[in-house]
Amino acid sequence: MNIANDAQQKIEAYLTRLRRNLRGLRAAEVDEIIVELRSHILDKASAEGEPNAASVDAALRRLGSAEELAAAYITESILAQAEVSRSPWRILGSLFRWATLSVSGFAVLVACIVGYSLGAALFLCAILKPLHPQTAGLWVIPSNTGDWGLSLRMGFASAPANGHELLGWWMIPAGLILGTGLVLLTTRFVLWCARKYRQSRALP
Amino acid sequence: MYCIVSCVNAPSTQNDSAEKWEVQLRKGCLELAVLAALWSGSLYGLEILRRLESDSDLVVSEGTVYPLLSRLKTLGLLRSEWVESDAGHPRKYYVLTPAGKKRTAEMAAVWERFSSSMSKLLAPVSKGR
Repeated sequence: MNIANDAQQKIEAYLTRLRRNLRGLRAAEVDEIIVELRSHILDKASAEGEPNAASVDAALRRLGSAEELAAAYITESILAQAEVSRSPWRILGSLFRWATLSVSGFAVLVACIVGYSLGAALFLCAILKPLHPQTAGLWVIPSNTGDWGLSLRMGFASAPANGHELLGWWMIPAGLILGTGLVLLTTRFVLWCARKYRQSRALP
Repeated sequence: MYCIVSCVNAPSTQNDSAEKWEVQLRKGCLELAVLAALWSGSLYGLEILRRLESDSDLVVSEGTVYPLLSRLKTLGLLRSEWVESDAGHPRKYYVLTPAGKKRTAEMAAVWERFSSSMSKLLAPVSKGR
């Protein structure tokens, strides 16, 4: 196929931007996406004769901006991966990519890190309670100003002065259940956000 | 299917929200529409888009369908193969896997049940319009 130089350049510029925004997806996957879309653009632009700058422009407009298209690929990939495996690591990995592309992705990433860390801390505290029976647990600690604060302690330091421990041995079931629950809830929240994002963008 | 049900619940008192409702409804159907387009054989991306436009009045944004195809592939509902074309560039053809066929048949059954009960409900509305 003969294709005008400027048309070719437009296609490659678009695909380069797309590739840059897809970084983080598996390399083989990105390569396939690029080849598939190059083929789509060429087919679309040559529907009425040799592809030229105008027909390439029209084909690219129908695809949307490279950034939007990349964000669509990444949210679809988060949703697909989550259906295959709900591993927090994989979800976090995809979220980091989404966060680099949009403000909403970044907000979801922050919420996800907070949820997973708190869940993991509760779980860890429950496990450490038998090893540090006197110091691990959820402590209420009064401060000088008359307020009081809650502190989740793993028990490696000495018991805080004037503080008292809230849950006692109940820390073990509470930590295990709440910790696991929080991690699962955070995952569901991330998927809900990805679905909402997809719904808000897909189709004109 | 969840999307379709939730769309039906959405209020549509004004013209604007009726339009929004239609958009949501179309989005909810897209996955089934793509799977159904592949029911009788393998197609590449642009053929799927053309099939959706000619066999239905689903006007689909191209930037939506390619990422959707990639998700359906990750889920194991589709597999793909590259075929050299006369045009000089390879095309990526998609085929339903056995799991994809099963999912399509299930979704189609749900859709048919749903649309026939909706038609019954809507009969008096259509007559009275």
